[in-house]
Amino acid sequence: MNEPPRWPLHAITPLLWEIPPSARADMRAPARVYATAALLEEIRRDRSLEQLVNVATLPGIVGWALAMPDAHEGYGFPVGGVAAFDLEAGVISPGGIGYDINCGVRLLRSTLTRAGVAAAAPNLGRTLFAAVPSGVGRSGMLQLTGRELDAVLEGGAQRMRELGYASERDLAHTESAGRLEGADPARVSAHARARGEDQLGTMGAGNHFVEVGYVEQVFDAAAAERMGLAAEQATVLIHTGSRGLGHQVATDFIRRMNQAMAGYGITLPDRELACAPFASADGQAYVAAMAAAANFAWANRQMITFEVRQAFARVFGPREAELELVYDVAHNIAKVEEYTVGGERRRVVVHRKGATRAFPGDPVLIPGSMGTASYVLEGAPGALAASFGSSCHGAGRRMSRTRARREASAAALRTELAALGITVNAGSRRGLTEEAPLAYKDVDEVVNVIHAAGLARKVARLRPLVVVKG
Amino acid sequence: MPYRRLEHTSDLRLRVTGATREALFRDALRGLAAAMRPRQARAAVTRELALEAADATALLVDFLSEALALMQARRESYRDVRFTALTERRLVATLRGAAVEGFDADVKAVTYHEAEVAAGAGGGWQTHLVLDL
Repeated sequence: MNEPPRWPLHAITPLLWEIPPSARADMRAPARVYATAALLEEIRRDRSLEQLVNVATLPGIVGWALAMPDAHEGYGFPVGGVAAFDLEAGVISPGGIGYDINCGVRLLRSTLTRAGVAAAAPNLGRTLFAAVPSGVGRSGMLQLTGRELDAVLEGGAQRMRELGYASERDLAHTESAGRLEGADPARVSAHARARGEDQLGTMGAGNHFVEVGYVEQVFDAAAAERMGLAAEQATVLIHTGSRGLGHQVATDFIRRMNQAMAGYGITLPDRELACAPFASADGQAYVAAMAAAANFAWANRQMITFEVRQAFARVFGPREAELELVYDVAHNIAKVEEYTVGGERRRVVVHRKGATRAFPGDPVLIPGSMGTASYVLEGAPGALAASFGSSCHGAGRRMSRTRARREASAAALRTELAALGITVNAGSRRGLTEEAPLAYKDVDEVVNVIHAAGLARKVARLRPLVVVKG
Repeated sequence: MPYRRLEHTSDLRLRVTGATREALFRDALRGLAAAMRPRQARAAVTRELALEAADATALLVDFLSEALALMQARRESYRDVRFTALTERRLVATLRGAAVEGFDADVKAVTYHEAEVAAGAGGGWQTHLVLDL
């Protein structure tokens, strides 16, 4: 491929950079990047900025097209991107949410300590690997069809509560209480249902994981206490989304909007940006299908939570299986929210693709790569003014899977992780090397940008002990 | 080689070439099927498919998306295809492959990103394809 173009970037602060709308004739808003100079150089190496400029051309964009410090090249929208659109004049774009609708992270806290988990690590890893199906083709314990599946698409984690797999407390600590309003199962195609019907309670592959870790460092004691977190305490992170059902909903609507766009007079520099006016029939059909897929994802993470609790009960006994939910937050989703933009209160549809909601006082969960660290942050008021209540979503890839496989060997990686006290249970050697820490940016540097820019404050740093992946 | 894997930060980028339109579609299908890393093939299967799209690029992406949905939903892997009809904007095809136990890689989608079915310099057809993993 050709070298990416060098875009004009002005420093607004040492951590915020702007490409002015004059950089390309079709831009309707500036494009902004949160990054250190060093992270910005990494971001410039692929097509992230070109993709961000493309987002800034979409009709009805409000404020800026934003990239977080973990941004990297996606398709259409960059991963690590945020964009808000006017509800009347603006669009909704399935590519701005991504194929894995409501991919997200949930954090559980245990009554165990680091030492308690470390002593049982091999057994815990094997038990979790058996309890949480991974890869594609290992069915979940609940296989729902017809009206039973509809109830999950409409009810999300709240349906899991009715079925006995969630507590009221779980729902109270989940974004949107684990259910988006307006979900319509009739908008979810037969293909999407067929891909998803045996996948509830399954992790998938790629960068999805279940990770048992511990609180290595507390940065903000008061916030950590509010979240029930303390140094040396063992925790569980779950990272997955809406599985094949959500992937197919995105595929269906990107196809549909590509066919419909000409009728709305919309032309785009990339078909993956396919969109429709938010208020149109096509736009609202996607909103209803996306909400159903998002609900499936919340039900999925809830079901995995149930499976993880069962695994903990088998390994440590029922008293240690409570695993209270700290928070569950999406990082691939669109939501209607209200912000002050240019001195005016406006309701907008915020697209977060690889970006985590960061509302003041709410936990923000940032998983790192498997050999490094993950972070718990707390949303800060600055995010409302500067990033549509959004933060980064991870360390961010810096290397393709192909290159990661070339540069990392599974055996050496296992030895390296074992030396760090990390037990890994992975479905495939290839999947393991593709997710090697060297394939990712430095999560500390990424999170420090978010903290210093005032979007969210660091609360605690988690270190992995047991990693289970597809 | 009819398809080659190229670098893409988050996903898998393929460059597919074919002497004929049929060959391009078949080799793109093989690239997709290989990327899914199927486990343990069993009984042979065939599936019928008919599609229409706005242009050749959309037809290829939609064809692969349909094959991906069928492979994941039915746990089958298709390594070959026979076309009853294949024009710029329409196809009727029979996918051929085998039932499988599952897949080691989770290919989420075939994207339109960078896809552009075009005539190659030395004749034949070519395109890039980006798969979301």
